[in-house]
Amino acid sequence: MSADANGVPVLEIRDLTVRYGDVEAVDAVGLNVGAGEVVALLGPSGSGKSTLLHAVAGFRPPSRGEIWLQGRRVASPEKSEPPERRDVAVVFQSYALWPHLSALDTVAYPIRRRGGRRRAAREQAAELLGRLGIGDLADRRPVELSGGEQQRVGLARALARGASLYLFDEPTAHLDTHVRGVFLDELVSRREATGAGGLYATHDAEEALGLADRVALLNSGRLVQLGTPEQVYAEPVDLWAALLTGPASLVRAPVSASADDLCTLAVGGRSVVVGTTVAVPVAERAELLVRPGWARLGGDLPGRLRSTRFRGEHTDLLVETEVGEVLIRQPGPPRHAAGQRVSWTLSRVWPLAVSASGDSSGTR
Amino acid sequence: MAARSTSLGFRAGLIVVSAAVALLVVVPVSRLGYVVWTESAGGLGQVWSRPGLARAVVNTVVLAAGVTVVAVPLGALAALALRRSDVPGRAWWRVAMVLPVLVPQFVLGYSWTQAYARAGFTDTVLGVPWPAVQGPWGVWAVLVVNTVPLAYVFAAVGLAVRAEPDLERAARASGATGLTALRSVTLPLLRPSIAAASVLSFVLTLESFAIPQVMGTPSGFTTVTTLIYRDLSLGSDPASFVEALALALLLVLLTIIVVIPADLVLGPRLRVSRVAVTEGAPVEQRGGRAGGWIAAALSSYLFLGVVLPVLALVAAALTPAVGVSPRPDHWTLDNFRLVLTARTFDALGRSAGLALVAATALTVLGVAVAVLERRRSGRILGTLVTLTLVLPGSTLAVALLITYGRWIGGTLTLILLAYLAKLWAFAHRPISGALDRLPLGELQSARASGAGPLTAARTVALRPLAPALLGAWLICVVTALHEVTMSSLLYGPGSDTFAVIVLNSQELGRIGPTAALSVLLTLFLVVPALPVWLLIRRLRTSTGATGPAAPRGVADVR
Repeated sequence: MSADANGVPVLEIRDLTVRYGDVEAVDAVGLNVGAGEVVALLGPSGSGKSTLLHAVAGFRPPSRGEIWLQGRRVASPEKSEPPERRDVAVVFQSYALWPHLSALDTVAYPIRRRGGRRRAAREQAAELLGRLGIGDLADRRPVELSGGEQQRVGLARALARGASLYLFDEPTAHLDTHVRGVFLDELVSRREATGAGGLYATHDAEEALGLADRVALLNSGRLVQLGTPEQVYAEPVDLWAALLTGPASLVRAPVSASADDLCTLAVGGRSVVVGTTVAVPVAERAELLVRPGWARLGGDLPGRLRSTRFRGEHTDLLVETEVGEVLIRQPGPPRHAAGQRVSWTLSRVWPLAVSASGDSSGTR
Repeated sequence: MAARSTSLGFRAGLIVVSAAVALLVVVPVSRLGYVVWTESAGGLGQVWSRPGLARAVVNTVVLAAGVTVVAVPLGALAALALRRSDVPGRAWWRVAMVLPVLVPQFVLGYSWTQAYARAGFTDTVLGVPWPAVQGPWGVWAVLVVNTVPLAYVFAAVGLAVRAEPDLERAARASGATGLTALRSVTLPLLRPSIAAASVLSFVLTLESFAIPQVMGTPSGFTTVTTLIYRDLSLGSDPASFVEALALALLLVLLTIIVVIPADLVLGPRLRVSRVAVTEGAPVEQRGGRAGGWIAAALSSYLFLGVVLPVLALVAAALTPAVGVSPRPDHWTLDNFRLVLTARTFDALGRSAGLALVAATALTVLGVAVAVLERRRSGRILGTLVTLTLVLPGSTLAVALLITYGRWIGGTLTLILLAYLAKLWAFAHRPISGALDRLPLGELQSARASGAGPLTAARTVALRPLAPALLGAWLICVVTALHEVTMSSLLYGPGSDTFAVIVLNSQELGRIGPTAALSVLLTLFLVVPALPVWLLIRRLRTSTGATGPAAPRGVADVR
């Protein structure tokens, strides 16, 4: 899905460093967003997501590196264009709606700044609010809006900017399905024209994986991994990245043989052949990652159920095994009690401390 | 807190506090109205047509308007400028903007005359006098310098709590230039704070006495407050007495005319709640020399407005006689030796005692009202106390004088009563605000953990409230030490405060000794105030900053 093959990327970040005093909030990050693409910035708080967005938006100049929008350089340490001269729109963390303006005037604001007449701007704004399903709230001020309604006004204001890059600074609540649909439709409809992209900062893995075409993992200002949601989930570069993107267990076992997509491990006394997506080096004691869906109950490996947690759609089971504790996700309610002996099967592993395959380490 | 045992305490507190409000405010002001009404039966027209009265009223109103339209924009500008991250020494400037309020009003006024008047500092050293400093223009300029900190604090607090940086960023990201964002987002958000600062500035200038008295009276410029002072302290005929009473009443009416409409319009707007609260962060700026220019402008404002005058005052205190060049080799401590008499020390002791007693009593009264007004039946007390803010000091002093003067006239007790009445709201507001910010859950969880109401208050509420309590106490100490509006009307033999002695010395025209006394008064105030202030700052940061430092700098503008 990386769209930067066809033409100029919407956003190109080259070796970007942003310093606060002597702290490097963003440290030598390179990243592209293609037309029609949404890239999620995923990282814990303090990882530099907001700073990166602020640099792209023009709120903070780079200490090193460059930012290019649609093939035009907008920021370098020497010269940083102000936000109003960059072709970007921002959805803010707590939406940053102006308390003194109604929803209609808020959404009309960017249109007015482009030189639109008041009346035309309001008509356009009303149309946008209607598209987001809050046309009847046009006269309300922010205090009279619920959180979800504020989010829609915030997005409507960003859309009214008609920018080619949309920045989301950790919106407090997830975009609901309708809002997300309107936004993605906008990106699709704009792809034919100039092309628009999105950069979405969040600390919520589920949201990042579900929304983005590619996910960038940030840790202390550094880009740790960049890849499709499937890649960052299934092939994390290290344990930190693995745990950031979802639940996982770590098992330690000798690897005796390895082919391209299969490897043989010893679990207890038994030799087990499991799937993988990378050549696993033969080792006396390898550290292997197991996602909850990569193992299941039943089979010939022995284990003891340590705890179960019913989660509605599925049940999480923590199984004590000869290679360590393994988290297994089974559909349906729990069928075993804690402490019971169970058997289990391992179907797939991902070796840690082995560099991930292909372009998952960055598409520069 | 609705236990039955506290209900009794609540009722007792309600009765005591209501009685205090009645005795300190309601009775005296009613008496003032009544006396004006009876004394002037048929003669009110005569009072109004007295020579100079209309002139003084016009002067007062024009002065208040003139100060407000200049000081408030200056303060707001300074607050906006000091948000820029490229101003060198920003943190320092933020404190420096408020520090001038530690110089008592009449000392500042007197310093200006020492600095800029004929035979003053600039005249002696550079040969450049500004003779108009002793007259309406000087009064206006010093009042502006004195009011800018107030406007600055209002605007800075407004910016911190209302103009979150994201709101401006949102405007920029919507295509607005910096200037458009300022005009269309920042200023509209700031409007209620600016309007409130304007009303307060207008009202405080209306009732200001010290600066017009020190700088205007010698050149024949009168205001309502200086006329009241003249009538009461110099006039011996009954007509001047009635005039003073009528003027006192007129002053409160003028204030009410401004405050009530302003409150009706502004009140709801100031209470508009915010969507989200984040700390007021600096606005990132880079390149250009704007930051340097801002620092230069602030330095010259502070230098010309406060530092140079105070230096001139110190120089005058150290030079033996008028006209002697203030060179170091001429310096002497003779003036200090001259004024450090037993009488001065007595007055110093009286002032300190009065200020400490008043501040402590006021803190207790402030807490009492803040607690009582949490209940429906006590709410009226909070409103009443807040209303006393519009009572000019001169009015209050005259009202107390004619009500209790025949028993305790000329005693320190009467001055103490005046301070209690005048400063009650000053003590009440910060405490009430801090109590509002105290999460109810904290007290409830203390009660749920087995603490009685008093234990809960002591163990859980006292610590977060400490900065506000100490702040209220400090405001009252500082204001009481500064105060001359009321004490100059109420003092009698043996009850003159230190500030009154300084004022009297100024009126006698003894320049060197007056300057020495003024320096002493300022030191007397700054030296103890600074450590307390630093302590408050530390308490504030260690409790996790209970909101912006709102009314601390606001109130001591008297």
